[in-house]
Amino acid sequence: MSPVDFVKGQLRFRCHDGVLTERLVQTPAAYGLGRVPNSTKPDATVDSVCGYCATGCSLKVHLTEGSAVNLSANSNYPVNLGMACPKGWEALAPLAASDRATTPLLRGDDGKLAPVTWGAAMDAFCGRFKDVQSAHGAGSVAFLSTGQIVTEEMAYLGALAKFGMGVLHGDGNTRQCMATAATAYKQSFGYDAPPYTYQDFEESDVLIFVGANPCIAHPIMWQRVMRNQRNPEIIVVDPRKTETAMAATKHLPLKPKSDLALFYGLAAHIVSLGLVDRAYIDAHTNDYDAFAAFLSDYNLETAAEATGLEVYELDALAHMIASGKRVSFWWTMGVNQSYEGTRLAQSMINLALMTGNMGKPGTGANSITGQCNAMGSRLFSNTTGLLGGRNFESESDRQDVADILDIPVDSIPAEQSLSYHEIIDAIDRGEIKGLWLVATNTAHSWINQKRFRKVREKLDFLVVQDMYHTTESAEIADLVLPAAGWGEKDGVFINSERRIGRTRKVRKAPGQALSDFNIFRLIAHHWGCAELFKDWDSPEAVFRILTRLSKGMPCDITGIEGYADLDALGGIQWPCVSTPELRDEHGEMQIEQQRRLFEDGQYYHQDGRAKFLFEAPRPMPEPANEEYPLILLTGRGTSSQWHTQTRTEKSDVLRKLYPKNPYVEINRIDASEQGITPNSTVTISSRRGSVEATAVLLASVQRGQVFMPMHYGVTNHLTADAFDPYSKQPSYKACAVKISIS
Amino acid sequence: MLLKEQGTLQTPVGVFSAKHEAAISEPEQSQFYKQLIPLSKPGAGEQYAFKVDLDKCTGCKACVSACHSLNGLDEHETWRDVGTIHGGGLAGASYTQTVTTACHHCADPACLNGCPVLAYEKDPDTGIVRHLDDQCIGCQYCALKCPYDVPKYSKSLGIVRKCDMCHSRLAEGEAPACVQACPTEAISITIVNTEATVTAARTGAGFLPTAPDPSYTVPTTQYVTQRTIPADVEAGDLYALKPEHAHLPLVFMLVLTQLSVGFYGLGLFATDATVSTIARVIAFLAMALGLAASTSHLGRPLGAWRAFLGLRRSWLSREIVVFGAFSGVAFGYTAAAFTDLVPEVVEVGLGWATVLSGLLGVYCSVMIYHDTQRPFWKFSVSALKFFGSMLGLALAGHIAITSYFSEANVVLLFPMFVMFATKLVFEAFLLGDASAVTMTPARKSAMLMLYPLRKLTLTRFIFTGLGLLAFGFVIIDSSNAVLSAAGFSFLLIGELLERVLFFKAVAAPKMPGGVMT
Repeated sequence: MSPVDFVKGQLRFRCHDGVLTERLVQTPAAYGLGRVPNSTKPDATVDSVCGYCATGCSLKVHLTEGSAVNLSANSNYPVNLGMACPKGWEALAPLAASDRATTPLLRGDDGKLAPVTWGAAMDAFCGRFKDVQSAHGAGSVAFLSTGQIVTEEMAYLGALAKFGMGVLHGDGNTRQCMATAATAYKQSFGYDAPPYTYQDFEESDVLIFVGANPCIAHPIMWQRVMRNQRNPEIIVVDPRKTETAMAATKHLPLKPKSDLALFYGLAAHIVSLGLVDRAYIDAHTNDYDAFAAFLSDYNLETAAEATGLEVYELDALAHMIASGKRVSFWWTMGVNQSYEGTRLAQSMINLALMTGNMGKPGTGANSITGQCNAMGSRLFSNTTGLLGGRNFESESDRQDVADILDIPVDSIPAEQSLSYHEIIDAIDRGEIKGLWLVATNTAHSWINQKRFRKVREKLDFLVVQDMYHTTESAEIADLVLPAAGWGEKDGVFINSERRIGRTRKVRKAPGQALSDFNIFRLIAHHWGCAELFKDWDSPEAVFRILTRLSKGMPCDITGIEGYADLDALGGIQWPCVSTPELRDEHGEMQIEQQRRLFEDGQYYHQDGRAKFLFEAPRPMPEPANEEYPLILLTGRGTSSQWHTQTRTEKSDVLRKLYPKNPYVEINRIDASEQGITPNSTVTISSRRGSVEATAVLLASVQRGQVFMPMHYGVTNHLTADAFDPYSKQPSYKACAVKISIS
Repeated sequence: MLLKEQGTLQTPVGVFSAKHEAAISEPEQSQFYKQLIPLSKPGAGEQYAFKVDLDKCTGCKACVSACHSLNGLDEHETWRDVGTIHGGGLAGASYTQTVTTACHHCADPACLNGCPVLAYEKDPDTGIVRHLDDQCIGCQYCALKCPYDVPKYSKSLGIVRKCDMCHSRLAEGEAPACVQACPTEAISITIVNTEATVTAARTGAGFLPTAPDPSYTVPTTQYVTQRTIPADVEAGDLYALKPEHAHLPLVFMLVLTQLSVGFYGLGLFATDATVSTIARVIAFLAMALGLAASTSHLGRPLGAWRAFLGLRRSWLSREIVVFGAFSGVAFGYTAAAFTDLVPEVVEVGLGWATVLSGLLGVYCSVMIYHDTQRPFWKFSVSALKFFGSMLGLALAGHIAITSYFSEANVVLLFPMFVMFATKLVFEAFLLGDASAVTMTPARKSAMLMLYPLRKLTLTRFIFTGLGLLAFGFVIIDSSNAVLSAAGFSFLLIGELLERVLFFKAVAAPKMPGGVMT
């Protein structure tokens, strides 16, 4: 707006009568919308899946001349039934932020990032990475991908890096969120397969939420719980009395990291009561007897001792689980982000298996996923698993992929990729010298942040590809590639219940920003490997390639011919196998909108059976002691905050809905013993760092514990880098700290 | 090539719009909200009200952003808010509840009662309290009057706006945006009996623990819960110390009009004609500056002439009218000092009219703040501050002016010292509330002054102290005009700072908020 227009506008508002009332006038809109503001009356609408969390809500984007002016929740999508959380409602706001990266930025000799052309950026990207590779070997360049971009882009990134650029090691930020669930499912079911559909929230009699706070982390899933007409028992297992614990019928405030002991105790009690579903166990599982023998060391007393809960409460819960009612387990980061998360997830899978709570409506051991496309990443990111949930180390898998993609089989690495923390360690050892971050903010989100900052100094070249040039990671990059964001590109996301949904381009990207897809095409061209990707010329073309890659895998989606099928059905859950019965005579798909897995009791291991996996609980890696007497819990702050806040902090509305500065929740009595007053500034210190935050005194936090949201950069200066040995996921949730008055 | 592709938006496929065109008559979302709005309009003695089922509200805040998007509000503007209340025993026994809140469409709306230009109306059929945006002059008095922090001032528009319960949606049988968007159906629209609501509020029946006393405005929102709310429950932002807006134009307006009234008194009672003339000229300049400042406070000053409309209910309206009259007679009285054409009896009459209307104006100023029901602005506090400034500055002014011409009237120093000392002691006394056991509004004000506003508070005391010190030397050197002018300036600055604190350190009542850092 020019200064003259501004003054004119101001004079109009302030001197004319009538113009202000007009500004709020509503008008009946078409397209199934109710009344909408006159100022943003659409001339068309289009449905697009939200790009924040893995609930996968469909948003109805209001368009004027093809460009998004507003949005509302899609009333007819089976996921969200007309609802959205505030992040979804505000999904367009972050696109208009003033700190969008609009040109490539290259760090010059003066040490400052300066705008360069795409040509110069590509020369730097290819030149520097090739230099690193020729000096230190092909494996010395690594990449870290994301759960936030569309599946087609993830696949392109993984294929480009590993088949085109010779990169050996690549992982994703899904390592920080879903690796544990993925590993647990792979080991127990034979494939990374979350078994449920959201309808199960409505059809369950007993819902057990473990380390999950869906009221604010997945509000639209909680909507489904509230729609449950079966008067369900809702049990929340969480050290804190969270919003969800408050809304539950029973909250079990256990001690941090005592959950594995809890579930083994419950399982042992169910065995001793003789309430196991022996028929199901015999027909569909392996290793139950070994598990039952293992359980002889556990009972309700051991569980009560470990958790600090009462035996009678646990007895009641065990009876509930084995009651024959529909019991479902739901977990999120409280389980996944644990040093023994894989076994913990499996302890719930075991309970579901041994009581026959699998494959039936309202049952299951169900992992609620974090990022919008974590599931897409798990299947198609080509990082630690070969495309389609395959294995790099398997010769036949490599041959399959080479055949489908029509590429030489020796362009596919035969070795397993390092995981996220192993990549960081390899940088520390000087083995990896070049790193490429795509749509993730390692310099905020990675555990034990101080160490990461030190390790970064050992990199010869750091490339960050992001929407914003202001993320903590972009600021320390050598090259920033400006990326289009959600709403500025096309593709599909795969949500928590395995539903593949379309997201669309409804805005132009600012300046010279390109979609990640187009950036990968550009790199393929400049790197000189475009020949491998000659068929990868549009997101939909890549989607069709992915359907071919899924053939014969549990995630088979060969029945989906293109985006039009996804539009027509309101998203489609995998699997969707191409069979003669799939379509009627008009070519329309005949497939249920809500499908759960394992209804036939057939799992994905060779013998079709699920496995019991178990291991004795280990003590916390960093328990409280005299010097650090408190356990720091971390997690989601509010529903209006997302991860490292690169997007949510760009919306004025969302900013109003969360506390601006870091805060720490402290138990009231602990605080008063230390003389800490409400809203005063305190210093929180761990063995790795010391940060300041505002003290919030609450009764909902247990004594001896404190809680800090992950959205503030300071939190990860405290967290301890411990990892689950199977999933390699960081254990963000618990470390020892002390608090003093600042 | 890639850039061009990135810059192209596909026109959405025709089938989408075509498919939905048929559904115009019935919004698709109505399947979810039909049972959440009343089937009939309110009858006589009834009105619409929000009903919030606390047991269903889990703090997702979708209501806030849906309201924002579906009402086309400005980028930073929100009409709804979500806070928390918490308390109870430890861990498992603790209580935390999120509370969604918007305008309560009160039976006795303070915003409406305070508006000087009648820019609010309570719809006779629905009871919805509507803000008439084009009538608003942007004085923001409603924002001070409303105990729930509902009307929000928009700098870019120069007016306040607020929730209108989506009256145009309700009229068409559509649900308000917040009702449409709540995933757990916690918000609905209900019909309440107005009289019963008034009785309940005035007899202290529960509105919502931690919320401001409902007897003042009779909010109609119905908060319902099956749970027991513990007695020790507190608002999430109870301990947050966030200074309020300083309202600088009002700071100058108040202090300068009070100085002006005081100086006109000086003009009237001064025995020396020169002293009287100078006092009147200074008084006139202060008045002109003060009233100009007050106009600059308005978002839409051109509408200020309508301010008489609210005379029946609004102290602000009364203040504007009285100071309007004051400025007229004051002009006459000031002019009379420079001409012999005005007979003395008329001049004295004008003098009395000026002083009396001025005193009435200052009284109206006091009542404006007293009427907000904020303890920090209650009558005794505001009256002492406002009339104290008037008297103290007038006495200091007299000493300063006389010291310039001849010798200062040292006798006046004593009452002046007493006046300012009383103010300082009183203000220091208020700081003592910081050690109160519970977080009362008085304690909040005291803590605001002692912590975030510590420097300002200290400066206020220092300036007045310096002013008194300077005048202390005037006792020794009673014709030192420089000393007394400096003393007067220090005291004036001290009073301006006192008034900044008056605005910034007030504990503004509001609905419970969330954690504030």
